[in-house]
Amino acid sequence: MTGRCTRAQEALKRNDPSAIERLRVHAARCAECAEPLALWDEIASAAPSLRREWESPRLFPKIAAAIDTEKFSRPAVAEAPAAPASSRKFQWIPMAAAASLFVVAMVGLQVFRNSGGREPLVNAASTSNPLLTDRSLEEVETAEANYVRSIERLSVLARPRIANPTTPLFVNYREKLQLLDSAIVEIRAQIEMNRFNSHLRRELLAMYQEKQRTLQELMKEATS
Amino acid sequence: MHVLENVPRTPRPAKEAFLDGPEETDGSSGARDPAEEKLLDGCRAGDVAAFERLYELHGARMKSIARNLLGHETDAEDAVQEAFLKIYRGAASFRGSAALSTWIYRILVNTCYDLLRRRKRHPEDALETPSGGGEGSALPAPAGDHPLRIAIEQSLSKLAPRQRTVFLLSAVEGFSHREIAGVLEVSEGASRTLLFEAKRRLQDLLWTSGARGRASA
Repeated sequence: MTGRCTRAQEALKRNDPSAIERLRVHAARCAECAEPLALWDEIASAAPSLRREWESPRLFPKIAAAIDTEKFSRPAVAEAPAAPASSRKFQWIPMAAAASLFVVAMVGLQVFRNSGGREPLVNAASTSNPLLTDRSLEEVETAEANYVRSIERLSVLARPRIANPTTPLFVNYREKLQLLDSAIVEIRAQIEMNRFNSHLRRELLAMYQEKQRTLQELMKEATS
Repeated sequence: MHVLENVPRTPRPAKEAFLDGPEETDGSSGARDPAEEKLLDGCRAGDVAAFERLYELHGARMKSIARNLLGHETDAEDAVQEAFLKIYRGAASFRGSAALSTWIYRILVNTCYDLLRRRKRHPEDALETPSGGGEGSALPAPAGDHPLRIAIEQSLSKLAPRQRTVFLLSAVEGFSHREIAGVLEVSEGASRTLLFEAKRRLQDLLWTSGARGRASA
């Protein structure tokens, strides 16, 4: 390979059939070029046998399931670009939803800061304890349960619209509801670790209110 | 002396089409084949039948490429699955600056690179290097396997990733340099050079290891 004759290297680097043919003629009388050319040919001939084939009967079902899961969890990925241009007028809705969530969070934070983190959630007169008392916690949980019941009733009515949205507007509603659901799940997880945290409870109630309002709007749109 | 008369060859389909379309279709942009357009639309809509068709067309080759890049069938299947998910996620924004097949092989190769990088960062997650057997691991060596084939396979891991990829795509899978250029986003000249470097390095490795001598014996 490192001999004085460099014709093999040059021709192989060019890798064009006519150069290789000329090299073959030359290699017939040049041992320095014959060796690398022979090995070159051997590698080229052996390479296709490296192709591996094996049965994977479970692979595509796994792929299909993964795509289905992805489709269910991120429906907008596939659907949004397919939406007609006329749907652009509804594009403000997700942004509005995000903005409203941001405002709710900021207001909650501001209230919490102003109170120095000591104001209880529902019963201001009860105590200056930063945590909810047992009684106020009970009130809060009752209010939450009412919201949840109301939301469940609305969700049952709205489910067909959410599952199979017929217009971009319903797609956007679904997206907003998914956003709210994930926020609710997150806050509830935090509450699990600290049930008496008034700030978290306030945020959760705000989320429930927003979800209830969204479902009501959706139903109103569906029946109009 | 040529030793390859006895090397078992995996039959390569006659000019196996890179695409399910015209032979000369390459990675460059241009009018899309209507069947490909339909397939792409199906992928954009998340239509499982479209992905099944894509899998029928390219799945075997994708598995082979991934297996040779990653060295293990289980990893290869994971890479193919991940590539399909990326195809689903990206189909909506794929604007067709390349052929669909170019794009999916590009996704696959990048997915394999990601897995290799991840494996470097977390070597404890890496599966054992295939040793030629074992259920769910490396495929058993084909009957009558030739020492040179085995030696090449072992030497491949010592090549630079790009060299290895070009060698696999060109010499093993039969992609043209135009197609490789599209997949790897390099020039055709760069693809030729990488192939030459890969083969030269393989020659050196085979000489050094003595595999070539044994194979020729």
